Amino acid sequence: MTNVTDHGDRPVALKVAGLRKTVHSGFRRRSREILRGVDLEVREGDVFGLLGPNGAGKTTTVKVVLGLMRPTAGTVELNVEGLGEVGYMPENPYFYDYLTGREFLLFCARLFAIEAHERRRRVDGLLSDVGLEAAGGTQLRKYSKGMLQRIGIAQALVNDPKLVLLDEPMTGLDPLGRVEVKHIIEALRRRGKTVLFNSHILADVAELCSRIAIMDRGQVVWQGAVQDALADADGDLEAFFVRTVGK
Amino acid sequence: MRRVLAIAGNTFRETIRDRVLAVIVLFALSMIVASLWLASISLGQQGRMMKDFGLVAVSLFGLIVAVFVAASLVHKEVEKRTVFVLFSKPVGRTQFIWGKFLGLAATMLAVMAGMGLFLFVVDWFVAGHPSGWLPVAVGLIYLQLLTIMAVTILFSTVASAILASVLGICVFVAGQLSHNVLSLTGLGHGAVLRGLSWVVFVLVPNLSAVDIKASVVGEGAPDWSQVGLWGGYLAAYIVAVLVLASVIFRRKEF
Repeated sequence: MTNVTDHGDRPVALKVAGLRKTVHSGFRRRSREILRGVDLEVREGDVFGLLGPNGAGKTTTVKVVLGLMRPTAGTVELNVEGLGEVGYMPENPYFYDYLTGREFLLFCARLFAIEAHERRRRVDGLLSDVGLEAAGGTQLRKYSKGMLQRIGIAQALVNDPKLVLLDEPMTGLDPLGRVEVKHIIEALRRRGKTVLFNSHILADVAELCSRIAIMDRGQVVWQGAVQDALADADGDLEAFFVRTVGK
Repeated sequence: MRRVLAIAGNTFRETIRDRVLAVIVLFALSMIVASLWLASISLGQQGRMMKDFGLVAVSLFGLIVAVFVAASLVHKEVEKRTVFVLFSKPVGRTQFIWGKFLGLAATMLAVMAGMGLFLFVVDWFVAGHPSGWLPVAVGLIYLQLLTIMAVTILFSTVASAILASVLGICVFVAGQLSHNVLSLTGLGHGAVLRGLSWVVFVLVPNLSAVDIKASVVGEGAPDWSQVGLWGGYLAAYIVAVLVLASVIFRRKEF
C-alpha cells in the first residue's frame, strides 16, 4: 500500500520507480531479491525519512540511487547535475586512519575539483559546524565513533550539495552528538536542501522529517507526510511503524 | 587528472605514515648494515659481496612493501567501505585504480630512494669510491616492483588480499625465470609445449631482462639497448595490467 499525500508543487529531487535488485551469492549462486519494486518520490526541500526494519532494503535503495549497485530493473531519476551535487554519508563510516580530519575533508573537496582557497574556507566552516575545530589536526584513527560520524557528515557537505543522503546519521552518537546532528539537518532544511536519511530512531524522524517512507522486505509499504502518520496513530510514530510493518 | 592526483596524494600520505612500512624499511637498512659483516668475511670479495647482498636486500624488502601494500590497497577500501565515500562523489573507477597505483608508486619511490641512498653511501664507505651502477640498478629494481604492484592490484580486484599477495610474489619469482621459459620453446618439437611456453613468456613479465646486478658487481657492462627495450616493454605491461584492473573494477558492485 502506498499512500501518497499532497506535498506541494515543489519539483521532484529524487524519483525511484519499480526498483528491483536481485543478488547472487554463495557457491551455488543462489539468488535473493533484496528490492522488490521500490517506488519513492522525494521533493526538493524535503527532509525525508526512510524507515524500515533491518534488511528491509533501505541501504540497498540508497546504494542503487548513488550507482554503487546496479538495479536489476526500475529507474532512478535525480534532479541534480551528477554526483557533484549529491552528498552521502555511509552507515558506520570508516575513513583513512593516518589522515587528520582536516586532511580528509580537503581530500574530499579536491575530488569535487574545488579551488584551493575555497577548499580551505569550506573545510574550516564545516569543521566548525560539526564541532571538530579542535580535532581537525588529529589523525582519524584517534577519533571516537561519534567524531567519525560527525566528520562523515562534514565530508557529505563539502560540495554544498543540493541532495544529501545520510545512512543512519544518529547511530553511535551520545545525546549531545545527536542534538548536534539534528541541528545540522535542521540547518540544511532552512537552506532549502533536500535531505534523505535512514534511521531507526523514530523520535528523531518525527522531529525532523516532513515526509517518510516505510520499507519492509524490499518494498515501500507506506509513504506520506509525517503528520499524516502521527495523526493516524495518536501522535505515536512507533505504534504507526509497528502497525504498518506488521501488516 | 585532478581527481587521479588527489587520490594518488591521499594514498601516498596514508601509506607513507603507516608504521609497518617504517619497520620494514628499518629491517632493510639493518640487512644492508649486516652485509658489511658478510663482506668482511669474504676474502678479497668485500666490494662485490657488499653490492650483491645489499641489492638483494633492497629488492626483497621492496618486494615485501610493494606486494603487501598493493594487495591491501584496493581491498581495504572495499572492506572498510571507504569506496562508498569515494564513488558517491564524481570519481570514476578507472581514476581510482590509477590514483591508487600512482600514490603507491610515489611511496615506493621514497622507500627505494631511501634504501638505495643508504646502500650507495655504505658501499662508498667500504669500496672507497662511489659506484655509479648502484643507483641505476636500484632504479631498475623499482621498475620491476612497479610491475609487480600493478599485477598485485589486478589480483586484488578479484581475490582476497592474502591471495593477491601470494600471487604477486609468484609472478615476481616467475618473472625472474621468464627467460628460462623462452628457452623451453627451443626444446623438442612439441607444438603444444612451444605454444604453452610462448603464452607463459608473454603473460609473465620478463623482469630478469632489466636485472643488471651482474654488471654492478663487475661482470661486464649491460646491453643498454636490451635494457631500454625491455624497460619499455615493462612500462607497456603496467599500463595493460592497470587497464584490465580498471575494466574488472568497473563491473564491481559494493
